[in-house]
Amino acid sequence: MTASHNRHWVGLAAFAVFLAVLLLFLSGNRYLGFVAGITFIHILWACGMNLLYGYTGLMPMMFGGIAGISAYTTVNLLGQMSFWAAAPIGTLLAAAVGVVLGVPALRLRGFYFTLCALVIQQVISLGFIYFSSLTNGDTGISQIPPPEWFGGVLRGIDYTAFLAATAVAGIGILIWIVGSGLGRRFIAIREDDGLSETLGINVTRYKLLAFFIGSLFAGIGGALYAPYVGFISPRSFDVLVSLNIWLMVAFGGRGLIWGPVLGAALLAPLPFLMQDYYTLKAIVYGLLIIAVIILLPGGLLREIRFLRRSRPAGEEIAVEPQRVGETG
Amino acid sequence: MMESALLHVTGLTKRFGGLIALNKVDLYQNADETIGMIGPNGSGKTTFVNCLTGYLRPEAGTIRFGDVQLTAVKPHRVAAAGLTRTYQAVRIYKELSGEDNIATALLEVTEQPQADELANMIEFVRLQDRLHVPAGSLTLFEQRRLELLMRLVQRPKLIMLDEPVGGLASTEVRQMIDLLQALKERCSIFVIEHTMKVIREIADRVVVLLAGEKIADGPPAEVLKDRRVVEQYLGGDDA
Repeated sequence: MTASHNRHWVGLAAFAVFLAVLLLFLSGNRYLGFVAGITFIHILWACGMNLLYGYTGLMPMMFGGIAGISAYTTVNLLGQMSFWAAAPIGTLLAAAVGVVLGVPALRLRGFYFTLCALVIQQVISLGFIYFSSLTNGDTGISQIPPPEWFGGVLRGIDYTAFLAATAVAGIGILIWIVGSGLGRRFIAIREDDGLSETLGINVTRYKLLAFFIGSLFAGIGGALYAPYVGFISPRSFDVLVSLNIWLMVAFGGRGLIWGPVLGAALLAPLPFLMQDYYTLKAIVYGLLIIAVIILLPGGLLREIRFLRRSRPAGEEIAVEPQRVGETG
Repeated sequence: MMESALLHVTGLTKRFGGLIALNKVDLYQNADETIGMIGPNGSGKTTFVNCLTGYLRPEAGTIRFGDVQLTAVKPHRVAAAGLTRTYQAVRIYKELSGEDNIATALLEVTEQPQADELANMIEFVRLQDRLHVPAGSLTLFEQRRLELLMRLVQRPKLIMLDEPVGGLASTEVRQMIDLLQALKERCSIFVIEHTMKVIREIADRVVVLLAGEKIADGPPAEVLKDRRVVEQYLGGDDA
């Protein structure tokens, strides 16, 4: 599309190279490699959340639950088929559920949908506990086997590299969508859905399509998460996970391609680095949420760019409004 | 006359709870005429436009536009049929540039205008140098013209304008009237206005709504002299 948008492809190439180098350094350290892998999954999730929250203006607080539906489905199918057959089924099921759960967003605006989505998330979490024949209830499912991979199994740094590639692909898909007419429709809906209808955009269809695509991101991340960690439980996909992913997007900069990537890269490793102080974790997250709302309403990346920029805004406003007001 | 009607509304009725906002309103508009709608605040003018453009579902009545039935049709389908509207409080994508506003207006247009046609339309509303800044930073008059331009690029058959000169300074009102006069060459116009100057100058026919009922329908010269209209609406402060 525009020159400023095409810059993102250069950024993506640079990011891929950076990850390749990072993986070389991490290949000797299993623990840090694992933290990096979890971060890559969160980058993928943040891209999906960004598509919904940042670009379309919807607040999918059941995002973690949707990822969980994919993870549980995939793990349950592992007995009958390979991971590579099970994961797409789990992902598609999660995306279908995501579309159905997105239906309230057609009637409820802003804050009211957020509340509704939070309730939906709680219901999904309770479902993970209740249907214990599929989920093993509160105990969770452990010893999930790693996927088979060219005669061997995918594990360790190879799995981490695969997650890095998936994250890069996820960012690439987001760049592509945002630069397309589809992205323009999403942004139009975020800015004013009534006006968008007047201009001929089928708002219902595109909101549900946003939920479908966003839930695909959630689902792929969920399916890949289960064998990577080897253990899933209802707490792996609870409301805190949803809030976390939202925070990564809001902290980094919603509606920017790289803002949420930055947010995920900074926040996803945090729980691992703070393991000795895990009681403080909730406090740190609470403070971060408040700090974002008060100090960084546009997100970290937008603030950095705002400080750096002395000339008047305008050029890039197309896809990336400088300082968005409340998008609800 | 009625056979060639571009817009033909019969018995349009809309209730909000116990309040009858529109009561069996009939209206037709030919493609070659401009209709002005007047009426006091709360008389149902905007409700009328909302019903026609799919934002409200009327309890009774039919809406025919050309040879398409638009009764209980979704807004985006109304737009696809070539009937569009503007808003009393101007509505544009304020965070986006003028260019992006136009690009968004063109998303669902099947027959994209050529570059020179587009340039011609932009010149028509005199916004050629103002499209690269965020639309929210434009003056109200510029925003109104951008709003108009976003409809124009879609080449609608009929534009329903809801108070197009609301909030404009008197010199701007003059310019807007001239713009609307020229707009008649491009599409049919239905205009809601409180400013009688606009109605007198551009409307071929005036429709008066009072408490949801149509009380007059005819040439401006006659309607604006009608005793009931003068009493109920114009009073002494004829603008």
